[in-house]
Amino acid sequence: MAQIPNLDNAPLNLTSLREQSQKELLNILKNIRGKKCLVIDPKLGSSLSSIIQTSLLKEHGVELRHLSAEPLQTDCTKVVYLVRSQLDLMKFICSNVHDDVSKGLQREYFVYFVPRRTVVCEKILEEENVYNLMTIGEYPLYIVPLDEDVLSFELDLAYKESQVDGDTSSLWHIAKAIHKLEFSFGVIPNVRAKGKASVRVADILNRMQAEEPVNSPDMVVPEINTLILLDREVDMVTPMLTQLTYEGLLDECLHVNNGSVELDASIMGLQQEGKKIKVPLNSSDKLFKEIRDLNFEVVVQILRQKATSMKQDYTEVTTTTQSVSELKDFVKKLNSLPEMTRHINLAQHLSTYTSKPAFLGQLDMEHTIVEAQSYDICFEYIEELIHKQEPLVNVLRLLILFSITSSGLPKKQFDYLRRELLHSYGFEHMATLNNLEKAGLLRKQESKSNWLTIKRALQLVVEDTDTANPNDIAYVFSGYAPLSIRLVQHAVRSGWRPIEEILKLLPGPHSETKRGRFSSSPSYDTLQAPANMDKVADGRRSLVLVVFIGGITFAEISALRFLSAQEGMAYDLIVGTTKIVSGHSLAETFVERLG
Amino acid sequence: LLWKESWAMGKNPMASRGSPLHGPRIKLIEKAHSLFSETKEHTFESKAAEEHAKLIRMQHELEVTTKQAIFVDSSISDTIRTCIVLGNHRAAMKVKTEFKVSEKRWYWLKVFALATIRDWDALEKF
Repeated sequence: MAQIPNLDNAPLNLTSLREQSQKELLNILKNIRGKKCLVIDPKLGSSLSSIIQTSLLKEHGVELRHLSAEPLQTDCTKVVYLVRSQLDLMKFICSNVHDDVSKGLQREYFVYFVPRRTVVCEKILEEENVYNLMTIGEYPLYIVPLDEDVLSFELDLAYKESQVDGDTSSLWHIAKAIHKLEFSFGVIPNVRAKGKASVRVADILNRMQAEEPVNSPDMVVPEINTLILLDREVDMVTPMLTQLTYEGLLDECLHVNNGSVELDASIMGLQQEGKKIKVPLNSSDKLFKEIRDLNFEVVVQILRQKATSMKQDYTEVTTTTQSVSELKDFVKKLNSLPEMTRHINLAQHLSTYTSKPAFLGQLDMEHTIVEAQSYDICFEYIEELIHKQEPLVNVLRLLILFSITSSGLPKKQFDYLRRELLHSYGFEHMATLNNLEKAGLLRKQESKSNWLTIKRALQLVVEDTDTANPNDIAYVFSGYAPLSIRLVQHAVRSGWRPIEEILKLLPGPHSETKRGRFSSSPSYDTLQAPANMDKVADGRRSLVLVVFIGGITFAEISALRFLSAQEGMAYDLIVGTTKIVSGHSLAETFVERLG
Repeated sequence: LLWKESWAMGKNPMASRGSPLHGPRIKLIEKAHSLFSETKEHTFESKAAEEHAKLIRMQHELEVTTKQAIFVDSSISDTIRTCIVLGNHRAAMKVKTEFKVSEKRWYWLKVFALATIRDWDALEKF
C-alpha cells in the first residue's frame, strides 16, 4: 500500500519509531480477546493510516468504525474506542453507550485515550454513569512520522489553544514527544529556542530529563546534535502568504492531509462523475520526491521535458532495432508512467487554478503588503474584498498579514474594517475578531512598525530570484525568503548571538542552553566548526531537529530541505511540527463556528 | 472588567444560536450591549451588539411582511441582497440608511444582486 511512507532513507531510524507505535497498538488489541469493533476518532484515523495498514488490523479480528453521534452498528460484543481527549468525543461515546443500554445490548467497552487520559474526560464519563462499564487505557502515540524527514505531533489546534484559550497542555505534549525521541536517540546537547512557548517547552524538557533521565552510555554520541524550537507566533507572515512550491500549492488548492489529497476523479482524468479518490503524496513516489520542493513554474517545465523525452524514446523503439538491454531500459522507464500521468494531471489542475485573475491579484497584493510601501493600496484592496463578500478565510489571511507587517491598524481604520466585516459576514463573527485580537494577529496600532527593519536585516525580500536554479531559500515564494527559515539558517550557522538585536524585535523571549555531559565543553559554542567527535562514527552527518510549535507549511519544509542540501552544510535537518498547516487551515481555527 | 467581558461574550454567541424565540434573544444581546457600554474600552463591541439587536428586529419584521423565513441570521449585506433579489428596493434602502452602509459597499451589493436575478435592464440604468 502506497499510503504508508517509506522511511528507509531517513537520516534517523524512524522505522523503528513507527514499528514501536504499531506494536503498542497491536498489543492493546491482542489483550482484548476475540472479535472486537475498533471505533476511532475520525481525526485520528488519518494519522493512524500513516502508521498501520488496515489489513494488519483486520488480521487481528478488528472491525473498523468511525466515531460519531450516530448509534454504533456492529455485531461485536467488545467495543474499543480510540480517541483524543476531547470533550465532544466523550459525548459521542456516552450517547453510543446509552443507546446500547436502551436497546438492552450488553457489551464490553474499552476506551483508550491518545496520547493520554485527562481528568476532565473521565469526569464526563462518570457523570454520564458509563464510567463503571468501561476499561480505561492509554495509547501513547506522540509522534507520527509523515515522511523521511518530517515528524508530526498531530496537535491541530495547538496554536489557537495556546494563543487564545490559554491552554498550554499542548506544550507538555511536545516536550514529551521530544523526550521520547531522546530515549531512542540520546540526549540532545544543544537547545535553541525562540518564542514564549518554545522557551517553556525547553524548560519542561529539562525538567523531564531531571525527573526521568535518559541514560546514554558515555561514549555514544547522541544522534541529534541540536534542537531548534521555534514558535509559530514569531513568524505569522510566512504562513499567510500563498505557497508557490509544488507541494505547497497542492496544499493551498486541494488541502493535503497526512500525506495524501482527496480530489474529484475527474481531475485525474477518470470518467467517474463526482467520485472522490485519494492520491498519496510522499517520498516513496520518486518523481514526487524530485519535484515536490520546486517552484511550481519549474515543475511544469520538468514534466514537459520528461514527457518529451519519453516520447522520443518511444519513437526510437518503434523505428529502430534495439538490443535487448536497450529495450530493458525502456521498459524500466515505462514503469514510471503512472507517476508521470498522475503528476501531469495534478499540475494541469493547478495551472488552471494559478492562471485565474483572482489568484494572481491575491499574489500581487501579498507582495505589496510584504514590501510595506503602499499602505493605502492594500487597505483599499482588503476593503473591496470585504464588500464583495469574498470567502472570509481569504480575507482574514490578507488582513492578518497586513496587520502584522504594519504592527496593527490605526484605530479609525481598525474599527471601520471590523464593522464592515461584521456587516458583511454577520455579527456572530464578533467572536472570531476577538480570537484574532487575543492572538495579536489583528490589532490596533500602538507603536511604529519595525517590519521594515526586520525585512532588511534578514534579507527577506530577494530581488531577481532564479526559480529554476535557486541559490537562496527565497525561491519558495518567488522572491520572499520565509522569516522563520532565515532564523533557522542563522541558528544553525552561528547560534542566536549575532542576531540578538533582531530577535528582540520579534515576539517572545529566546534562550540557548546546553545539556547533558557536553555542557562543560567549550568547543560546542558554535556549530560552524564541529569537533571531530561531533560526527557520528559511520560518516553520516549529524542532525538538527527543527521543531515548529504551532505548525509548519510545506513551503517552509521545502526551504529547509533546500538548506540541508546546500554545499558546506554540515548537518541534516529534520522537521518536527505540531501539524502541517497552511494559511488557510491556520486562519480557519480562529473562525468561531456557532450552532 | 475582564470577566464581565468574557461573560457577555459567552452570552452573545449563545443568543445568536438560531432559536425561534426572538424576544429573549434580543434581550440577551441588549444585555450584552449594556454590559459592554459599562466600560470605556469596549465601545466597539457595545455598538456592534446594539446594531445586532436592531438587525434581528428588522429581519423579523421583514419575515413577517414577506412571509418568508429567510432573513434572520443572515448578515446585513446578505439582507440587502435578498431584498433586492426579491425586488423590494424600498426595504433594501431602509436597511442601507439604518446601518449607514457606505456607497461603495452598496454598489457592489446591488450589482451582485441584480446580476443574480438577471435584471439587466435595471443594471443598465443603474
